[in-house]
Amino acid sequence: MSATRQAARRPDATAASLEPIEDYFVGRFVAMASPCELLVDTDDRASAAALLRTAEREARRIEHKFSRYRPGNLVHRINHSGGRPVRVDKETALLLDYAATCHEVSDGMFDITSGALRRVWKFDGGDRVPSQAQVQEALQHVGWHRVTWADSTLTLPAAMEIDLGGVGKEYAVDHTAVLLAGQTRDAFLVNFGGDLFASGARRGGRHWGVGLDDPERTGEAVLYRIEFARGGLATSGDARRFIRHEGRRLGHILNPKTGWPVKDAPRSVTVLDRTCLQAGSLSTIAYLQGPGAREFLEQQGVEFRIV
Amino acid sequence: MQLTPANRTSSLRGRLGAAACLLLTAGLPSMAQGESGATTQFDATALLYGERNRANVAEPTARIARRFADGQSLSAQFGFDVITGASPSGASPSGVAQTTTSASGTVTTIPAGQIPLNSFKDSRYAADLEWQKPFLRSFLSTIGGHVSREKDYQSLGANGKLSVDLLQRRTTLTVGGGVNRDRVFPVGGIPVGLSDGSTPAGSSALSKDVSTVMLGLSQVVTRRWLVGLNATRTFERGYLSEPYKVLSVLDGTTGLPSGQWMEKRPSTRERWSVLASSVYHLTDDVLSLSYRYYRDDWRVRSHTCDARYRRELGGDRYLEPHLRYYSQSAASFFRTGLLDGAPLPEFATADYRLGGLKSVTVGATYGFRISDRPGEWTVRAEYIGQFGNGHPGATVGIQRQFDLFPTVSIGSLLVGYSVEF
Repeated sequence: MSATRQAARRPDATAASLEPIEDYFVGRFVAMASPCELLVDTDDRASAAALLRTAEREARRIEHKFSRYRPGNLVHRINHSGGRPVRVDKETALLLDYAATCHEVSDGMFDITSGALRRVWKFDGGDRVPSQAQVQEALQHVGWHRVTWADSTLTLPAAMEIDLGGVGKEYAVDHTAVLLAGQTRDAFLVNFGGDLFASGARRGGRHWGVGLDDPERTGEAVLYRIEFARGGLATSGDARRFIRHEGRRLGHILNPKTGWPVKDAPRSVTVLDRTCLQAGSLSTIAYLQGPGAREFLEQQGVEFRIV
Repeated sequence: MQLTPANRTSSLRGRLGAAACLLLTAGLPSMAQGESGATTQFDATALLYGERNRANVAEPTARIARRFADGQSLSAQFGFDVITGASPSGASPSGVAQTTTSASGTVTTIPAGQIPLNSFKDSRYAADLEWQKPFLRSFLSTIGGHVSREKDYQSLGANGKLSVDLLQRRTTLTVGGGVNRDRVFPVGGIPVGLSDGSTPAGSSALSKDVSTVMLGLSQVVTRRWLVGLNATRTFERGYLSEPYKVLSVLDGTTGLPSGQWMEKRPSTRERWSVLASSVYHLTDDVLSLSYRYYRDDWRVRSHTCDARYRRELGGDRYLEPHLRYYSQSAASFFRTGLLDGAPLPEFATADYRLGGLKSVTVGATYGFRISDRPGEWTVRAEYIGQFGNGHPGATVGIQRQFDLFPTVSIGSLLVGYSVEF
């Protein structure tokens, strides 16, 4: 009988889908509706596989927790609270604090409550533009200043909604990097859908090289190649989601004050800063400045690329 | 072009930096993996296994593993299986219908010309514990324990293993060993070997001790290619016969069975095996090949070739076809029956699993995730065919007309779920 049992249960070897490239490992998975990558500067496959597990788990955890498309999570509860106060956990509170800081320093341009506008704008590459009345109506339900946020309790007026998509992915990148740094001394680069964090110089003091896509030809042509050892890198732009209007291309980032896409905005703004969160917020705020993006970033004293 | 974050900081940027810092540090301990940084993995599988017209196995298992921040891990696995059906008793087919009784007292009648089977129904509980601990940067120690119990068999085991990484972690050397203390307590007591079964049982239970030593070497050849070599020696001592297996006593001329003798195997067995394996990572896919050579002092020799190809299908899905070929020579004391009146050999068995046989496995594993849900699912389906010589040269009389090794067809289906939290 033991032979039958042995034949019946053979251990199934499963290999992590990790790929060695040159002298580092690349792990890939899909989370937050984006292709995600982890580059680890090591020869040790087992160690790279363990880090990949951590990264994937963390990306999924944050996606589950903060996606506004997931029924039952906290964001969903807030968006369906019907004007009643909702108490949030510490992590969400800190993320909301961060979003509130972005709102404040951008003079109200960076706003996680722009959701109502997205219901009237469809950035599908077509040419349909909502009427001014529709935009005005939506604007009634936009604005962080309408929200009461104190003592870990958020009160969101009915018909308003929050969307942490503008900070969630960058937060996931940074937070994953913090976890990985506690797990390894090898240099690594976290890349969640184009938002990046690099932990430090690779072996031999080499920097990480990152190609920035030509916004006209996403995934086909690299416009710039940026090399850096440590820091966060994020890009805001209209590469994939836009609308055509009167011969102009309008990107999906909306001005929460006018209710319209930013006029004469750059095609894409890439910023390098200490963390991915800061890089992402600065690139978004810069983009919202429209033609003033370059001047804004020069004032901030950060490294950037504008296309 | 090289970039470094500039040192000049605006007040806007400074405020964002302070807020980001607060978010990334203040909240950290209470989030994500909990304060210990530990993770838990849970795996569950359900296996259905069926030999056509013979045994069926249903086996659910559950395994929980806790991995701590310092690299230690503790895991526990529990299994329960139910096996029902029939296996060949070892008796020879006859020209007329035969009646036999099984361990549980069930009476079975075997049609003429067919291999007699013993039917049975049994369940088994098993539990395994394992503790792994890395130390001194390149060492990993593992100790484990095992216990399982079924109606007529109990197994207790302990094992240990030590691995060391050498040459910049490109080479891993592993030494290990284990001991098992098993007890066999068949229904009706331990039969006397090579008796007709009517002799009163000498004892109700006997032990079987197993000790194993293992030496392994794995080597990273290139970044895509990993090879391994493993040698194992196992020594068994004690009651190694199968208590319900018999041999038919055949008439030297007609080949008709006239009675049955209980089988008898030696009380020691020394087994050696060498396994060579290779895992090659293509761009996305993985090719795994292995070859195993086995020999023991019962004169069984076997060769196993195994090939798997894991094809990534994108979107967290993969398909892994699997092909395996196994070939085995017979034990020196294997025979299809005993001739009436001939001197009794010292040992004899008619258990087809100790005879010459070949087996082919064809199967595939499909792995996938359900989008927006945690965990990975696997579904594995396999067909195993076992083939032997149904008309060996040494048979007598009517036995020549029978297929003494009808092909055994086995299907198995395994569904697994694995999640980490």
